[in-house]
Amino acid sequence: MTNSIEELSKADVIFIIGSNTTEQHPLIGMRIREAVLKNNAKLIVADPRRIPIAEHAAAYAPLKPGSNLAFINGMLNVIVSEGLANDDFIRNRTEGYEEFKGSIINYTPEAVSLITGVDADIIREFARTYAKAENASIVYAMGITQHITGSANVAALANLALITGQIGKEASGVNPLRGQNNVQGACDMGALPNVFPGYQSVLDDNAREKFKAAWGENINSDKGLTVSEMMEEAAHGKIKALFIMGENPMLSDPDISHVEDALKNLELLIVQDIFLTETARYAHAVLPGTSFLEKDGTFTNTERRVQRVRKAIEPVADSKPDWEIICALFNAFGYKADYNNPEDIMEEIRSLTPSYGGISYDRIENCGLQWPCPNPEHPGTKFLHKDKFSRGLGKFTVNHYLDPAESADDEYPLILTTGRIQHHYHTGTMTRRSWALDREYPHGFIEMNPEDGEKLGIKNNNKVRVISRRGEIETVAIITKNIKAGIVFMPFHFGEAPVNKLTNRRFDPVSQIPEYKVCAVKIEGVK
Amino acid sequence: MMLLNKKDVTKMLDLWSHSFEVYAPTRYNNEDVVLLPFDEKNFTMDYLNMAMPVKEYLFEQKESLYNWQQSEAGIRITEFDAESLKPRILFGVRACDAYGIAYLDRFYIEEFRDHNYAGRREKTYIVVVNCIEPGYNCYCSSTGVGPFAQKGYDLMLTPLGDEYLVEAGSDKGKELIEIGNIMDSIGEEAIELKNILKSAVEDKFLNKIDLSYIAKVMDETYNNDVWKEISKQCIACTGCTSVCPTCTCFNIVEEDSCYGEKCRVRYWDSCQSDSFTRNAGGHNPRSEVSRVRYRIYDKLKYIEERFGFKGCTGCGRCINVCPAFIDIIEIASKLKQEYKYDIAAMKKNNAAVRFEIHTHDQEHRCENAYKPQIAVIKDIIQETRDIKRFIVQYEDETLHENYKFTGQFFEITIFGVGEIAISIPFGPSQKNYFDFCVKKAGRVTTAMHGLQVGDKIGLRGPFGKGFPYEELKGKDILIVGSGVGLAPVRTMIIRIIENKKDFGNLAIIASATSYEGLVYKEDLLKWSEIDGVKVLYALSKPTDKVDAYVGYINDLLPDLGLEWEKTASIICASPRRIKAVAEDLIKLGMKGTDILTSLETHMRCGIGKCGHCKVGNKYMCVDGPVFNYEEMLTLPPEF
Repeated sequence: MTNSIEELSKADVIFIIGSNTTEQHPLIGMRIREAVLKNNAKLIVADPRRIPIAEHAAAYAPLKPGSNLAFINGMLNVIVSEGLANDDFIRNRTEGYEEFKGSIINYTPEAVSLITGVDADIIREFARTYAKAENASIVYAMGITQHITGSANVAALANLALITGQIGKEASGVNPLRGQNNVQGACDMGALPNVFPGYQSVLDDNAREKFKAAWGENINSDKGLTVSEMMEEAAHGKIKALFIMGENPMLSDPDISHVEDALKNLELLIVQDIFLTETARYAHAVLPGTSFLEKDGTFTNTERRVQRVRKAIEPVADSKPDWEIICALFNAFGYKADYNNPEDIMEEIRSLTPSYGGISYDRIENCGLQWPCPNPEHPGTKFLHKDKFSRGLGKFTVNHYLDPAESADDEYPLILTTGRIQHHYHTGTMTRRSWALDREYPHGFIEMNPEDGEKLGIKNNNKVRVISRRGEIETVAIITKNIKAGIVFMPFHFGEAPVNKLTNRRFDPVSQIPEYKVCAVKIEGVK
Repeated sequence: MMLLNKKDVTKMLDLWSHSFEVYAPTRYNNEDVVLLPFDEKNFTMDYLNMAMPVKEYLFEQKESLYNWQQSEAGIRITEFDAESLKPRILFGVRACDAYGIAYLDRFYIEEFRDHNYAGRREKTYIVVVNCIEPGYNCYCSSTGVGPFAQKGYDLMLTPLGDEYLVEAGSDKGKELIEIGNIMDSIGEEAIELKNILKSAVEDKFLNKIDLSYIAKVMDETYNNDVWKEISKQCIACTGCTSVCPTCTCFNIVEEDSCYGEKCRVRYWDSCQSDSFTRNAGGHNPRSEVSRVRYRIYDKLKYIEERFGFKGCTGCGRCINVCPAFIDIIEIASKLKQEYKYDIAAMKKNNAAVRFEIHTHDQEHRCENAYKPQIAVIKDIIQETRDIKRFIVQYEDETLHENYKFTGQFFEITIFGVGEIAISIPFGPSQKNYFDFCVKKAGRVTTAMHGLQVGDKIGLRGPFGKGFPYEELKGKDILIVGSGVGLAPVRTMIIRIIENKKDFGNLAIIASATSYEGLVYKEDLLKWSEIDGVKVLYALSKPTDKVDAYVGYINDLLPDLGLEWEKTASIICASPRRIKAVAEDLIKLGMKGTDILTSLETHMRCGIGKCGHCKVGNKYMCVDGPVFNYEEMLTLPPEF
């Protein structure tokens, strides 16, 4: 997030796109509702499903899955054509505006309306509301990133913030809501194929020098592979071994039949996890890690806040904290990993990661610190890009709309979009083991509009078979008006009806994120 | 009355620590104050209230109801033993939380005695320290529960200048005063000072609301649109019930390894979970609106109507924690605004609001109502495709000698799987064995269907208010059983037939989708042969097995040849069907109070503690499941 969570309650306009905020980030949803209910903020929500927070929205856009880029470009078009751009900001703090301006000429509300299924006037309303705000915050999540134009979608949102100057100040910015408790931390630490910790590129000579000095001359500093690329290579026998830690691709990767082939094809699969997951069942060795209750360390949350996690109980049975397992592996490979405790590791992080330079355990004993925090005197950073951007001037980019990889057709006439529900988390390894959470949703379902239900002769709670070009599964139908005709929704938490058997193995070219949010299916009733 | 100098508080706690485990308000690192073992370094008297109510010391978040082991010798059950607990003092409790304990005492210890709670409670001493500073969301002066404690304390301290005024509320309190003898006595003049202080504190409250007629207001505003608005906000996080001093609900699960043994465990549960009232068939009698509305009604109305205690202490914690800004006081104000009658006028005319407190004097057959008795399956009969009859006998046959025929249902335990409530289909003449009719619907019944003759189950009960056999004597009787609903009414059919001379004519209507779906088909044939007994069948599909009417039960009613003014009727069917039949019977001349039914909702504990079967202010397992039609109409439509 460019800003902090608490700033959301002070925004006067909040634009939510691709986030079911109250169900997936309930406390962030609370801040947004606080803004609306107590501070008269205007909320504008774009989502294919009529999510609960849309109840509070001044305007709601039920856009077709995969049409996000057209929608955002439509907003940009209106801002330009109605003279709502912040010229001062554009002149002083950005570059590339002219080229960008030329690229959105054809994204008129009328044209965009045809692509998105949203009324042209609603598109105008979104644009005007956002542009005219004192302080406008954008809130987004997987709803716009899990597409083949996911990166472009985010870049387009950045354009939105730049063209209106809604960035670099209080309660104004672009805020991705990270999902896992430490995905931000993992990325910050370079658990990505192209960067060292702190997003220092592996191709940058200075960075390479620094890390070679710290970790040894022979470290591998080539660009690596993304998860999707790894599965591909594994399936083709180019990758022989995989070490999977805290991830369950057998349920969470797209097109899981392919994942199964890939994993079976490996010579060696090692899985480090706290439960025996669907993926772990294919492993040659399973290393039992520990949960948040059994280890010390830090987690970095979505607002860049690094916070302490403290051990409350000893590791259960013979499980070990993850850092200890990795150190044991280091030692087994002949590299001396001489950390005595997680604090030692934090000290190393500080020395190599500029944005974490001032974050030490004693400073975050009571309250976390938000990076960038380059030195021990720095108080941490509430919001980013105050006077300048990381690259200096903000850059407008050209992002052209592309249709999703798979569209509805005669054979597969419905668009399936996947996502999450409130009480379960990802592949359910934790939540389905809790009676209180599992009792709420003990099994999966597919949401369908009454019109489609009627056409297919399917009633509420009927068993159905859902089929795509990749596979088929059986589940239960829920008929609801909260989703438009032609679109269906399934959560991916339920291993006995794994929706990713149906999803499409097509990726964003920059980030390699799979297009979980759009694929084509057909549905039939089951006797 | 005694005085304790404020400087002597830690000395007092120290002295108590010699024979008690002392828990006192503790603050670590600027965090919230919580009740923890007394530790002088982190002990503090500088707090408004503790983050959590003290109920978790008596009603634990997770605790074993019993442990069990199966071996060649049989099944051995071990229950919680409070003997091993050291006596403990909970110090620094506020008036609101102490009142909560007073209510919890009434709730858990009376009627059926909750073994675990009662055991802990005996060993617990409550020492209140009264508030002189209300919190931002506090409103205990409006509920009448605070700011100074009136109930639920063994010892009460009121800060007066440099001293605490100390009053004992029980013998336990007197015991505490005498330890170390460091308190000075003071005369009754201190009461005056205390009252002056109390008024001063009451003036400081930010929230004040007149709740005196709130129960009546809620009666009238049940269907008000305001509930739709409020319920849309709730995200079912269950924070409110977790922090509430008067919340008592729990869920029961079977766990595999609980410190090495198998056990039946109870956990705090919440009516704010959508699945709290959902039954095995998937039906949920509460909608989102009912669910959110229910908590407010329970706290401001139902608890008081049922137990005579305020359901809401005014501690304000639920308002503090709710991420959806649901505020019970704001809601009460809104409802009062929506209430179209003039409360001021009502006050002038009426005296205090009266309501009936429904209590039951129960005879306890066993010390611990949570502990099952072992029973053995003697025979299994397949009644229909998914219904089986189980003939069972207590392993300890002397239990049959002492068996008293009461109640309406048993709780059957399938060890390691779970427990279900099954109605009693047999009569009092069937003393030496029990005969249960079980439909395969969910996890537990499916496991039961997989058992064999010789396997062991657990039985708790009999529980519930049964049919009023004596009151039906001398009348014509109509009994209607739909599908497996014939089983609960069979008990009455048997008794009536065995004592036919005490009754008039008996008409039985058995209904199902098909003949195959009926239970007790042999019995139905036998009964039809008896003088003065008529047996009719109302089916959806025709059959050649018996002379059946294809159509609704209602169509058969007019020609039954019963004297309607002298008739009593028992209907066991879905709530909708019960209503449809009852309405027609009333049209024919019956009184609503002569129409009886058995309302079987999702039940867990069977003894009015876990909260799952509560409808309005009544527990189906204790106040029912048998109700007459008029009583049924007073219940909110949530069953």
